[in-house]
Amino acid sequence: MFHLPTVQFTQEQEQFRLDVRTFLQEELVKGTFTSKCDSWLSGDDPEFSKLIGQKGWIGLTWPKKYGGQERSTIDRYILTEEFLAVGAPVAAHWFADRQTGPLLLRYGTEEQREYFLPKIVKGECYFGIGLSEPNSGSDLASVSTRAEKVEGGWIVNGQKIWTSNAHLCHYMVTLVRTSPFDGKSKHAGLSQLIVDLHAEGVTVVPIKFLTGEHHYNEVFFENVFVPDNMVVGEIGNGWAQGLAELAFERSGPERILSTFPLIDELIQELKRQNNLEGLKQASKIVARLWSLRNLSLGVAQLLESGNGEDVSIPAALVKALGTKFEQSIPEITRLIVQTYPTLDAHRKIDRFMAESILHAPGFTIRGGTSEVLYGVVAKGVIAQ
Amino acid sequence: MSEMRDMIVDVVERMLKEKVDKDLVDTVEQGHWAPELWDLFKENRMTAVAITEENGGAGGDIEDLLNIVRLTGKYAAPIPFTETTFANYLLEFTNLQVIEDLATYMLCPDQAFTLENGKLTGEAIHIPWARHTKNLVTLARSKDGTHLVEINLSQAEIKEATNLAGEPRDTVRFQHSTTSQVSAVLSPDKIRTITTLHTAFQLALMTGAIDKINDLTVQYTKEREQFGRPIHRFQLVQQHIVHLAGETAIALAAFNNVTEALLMNKQNSEVAYASIRFEEIIQTVTTIAHQVHAAIGTTHEHSLHQFTRRLWSWRDEGASTSYWTNLVATQLMESGDSLWGYLTPFSKSSPLLKVEG
Repeated sequence: MFHLPTVQFTQEQEQFRLDVRTFLQEELVKGTFTSKCDSWLSGDDPEFSKLIGQKGWIGLTWPKKYGGQERSTIDRYILTEEFLAVGAPVAAHWFADRQTGPLLLRYGTEEQREYFLPKIVKGECYFGIGLSEPNSGSDLASVSTRAEKVEGGWIVNGQKIWTSNAHLCHYMVTLVRTSPFDGKSKHAGLSQLIVDLHAEGVTVVPIKFLTGEHHYNEVFFENVFVPDNMVVGEIGNGWAQGLAELAFERSGPERILSTFPLIDELIQELKRQNNLEGLKQASKIVARLWSLRNLSLGVAQLLESGNGEDVSIPAALVKALGTKFEQSIPEITRLIVQTYPTLDAHRKIDRFMAESILHAPGFTIRGGTSEVLYGVVAKGVIAQ
Repeated sequence: MSEMRDMIVDVVERMLKEKVDKDLVDTVEQGHWAPELWDLFKENRMTAVAITEENGGAGGDIEDLLNIVRLTGKYAAPIPFTETTFANYLLEFTNLQVIEDLATYMLCPDQAFTLENGKLTGEAIHIPWARHTKNLVTLARSKDGTHLVEINLSQAEIKEATNLAGEPRDTVRFQHSTTSQVSAVLSPDKIRTITTLHTAFQLALMTGAIDKINDLTVQYTKEREQFGRPIHRFQLVQQHIVHLAGETAIALAAFNNVTEALLMNKQNSEVAYASIRFEEIIQTVTTIAHQVHAAIGTTHEHSLHQFTRRLWSWRDEGASTSYWTNLVATQLMESGDSLWGYLTPFSKSSPLLKVEG
């Protein structure tokens, strides 16, 4: 079994955590934002993103020449934890910060980096992730959106689906087929293109979430021209490039903390009730959270030390276990305290319950279903 | 882990792999003693790890020692290694003289012996390996308070008993017996620290056994064929494998964080969290491992039970999970902070392992 490293925060890191926490508490009191469960997907607030950008808290790990702070993966981990713990609305810039930036730093051209990264860092430029299609969910390699070579660029035709916040995003990193599907090597012939979502031929159509809220979309491409300089990395290397992003996407604190505001409120409620028996039951949640955080931090530390160790198996495991945990929180909570969940509830715990119950089914689906992850982990364990 | 620790772990693991097999564990379960294995650990000075060199120890720290203990759990090593080393660790911790011989301990405050004019009286049950060891390090109550006492077991009346795993858990009785050493009165903080450390040793043993059970189970899914293919090819079996891997990874990470926290002199919540979480881990791991092994895993001939029976015993030895649940709940109740603040405290280290001058 893999031994993950432990993480001890430095004094500077603890101070950083305190700074972020203090800032967020002040903004919360000022009414700049309202705490929310699952705020990294459903809390979109461009004004808040710009405010975070001004603090230098987007692209925290990126090189200074692109507007970043050159801080460590662990610093970013702390920052993300603080955002999620308080349920801050970080959805607008989320994917650009988490995925697009690192992708461009690894595979992008200098021109792409200089153009996009400073805008992302300011909290003004948002990216969607164009992976799933109506007939390509877990079987992602079967995508059929295609790009054909023309003079100076590519013509894209096809459709993406479940694209979070595409209606707010400026661009989308889109996985397309640039050569025909070959059953023998189905991961070949895929490429990543940056598509301007306001370009001619792009149509974004909302898909209402089960609450009626608008988070995700269908995106249609009809003869959309994408210039050559918007190809990310190499043509035909899209699958490998996409996989490299996954470790960052899969094992972060957002796979554990999506319902944290509810846990926090549960504890507050029990304290107000002077309910020691309830707190004893809740201590199981705290212990589970602690034990998952150890794993997630361990993976972050491996990514930070970057000695080429393959983290894909533990990262997949963290996502599978973490999302199951965050999904379980409302069901455990309602057995410890009496709640009546509604989305417009006056009582915080009732509102957090409603948000958690309604969003929970998505936790174990988005970013790779648990079933796919189980397959990845089982194969990895057997191969050891 | 430090390079030094990697080296120790490597040496101990090789020793255990070579010397401990199912037959040896069976033999000791039948009441015999494993002199060769014990002598090997003693000759290699493993029994002196985490005792300072000035007190005749081999140096190293608590994290080194707990990692060796973890390995003895992984191989079900049938010797009182944990007992002897932890007894000595506690002697040094309470400023008493470290002893060379085999030792064991009794750390349940509720069954403390009575201490009067240096004489010990009373009976305690479930004392590990008492019949094979020479000295007992025990909590004892005098009119002034609770002490740590060292006493020679030759004066005791010992009634043999075993736990679910067939490990010696004897009843020990003293009647006005002469103690060898008595500590100053222990503060409540100090008693709590002893309880915390005791649980950390139990967690180390259990982590090792969990790791082993995971290994055995994964290996079995590769060897066992049904319907013409190894059973790991079936998705429902793969689901078991993943749950098992998840709980094992969590146990190992929890253990590493516990030892790190002890070493860094940090607050002791880690032990509490780990202890609460291990309840679930053990339930899941033992159930899945037996389900995957199916009938053969329920036989005495297979080695799986040597580890599952140990988990079912060890989880009930030392402070109970309800003790730790109560501690966390009380801390939460008294904390003026939010849960997040409570979980991410700024490192004011508490003097958990500070030896009183």
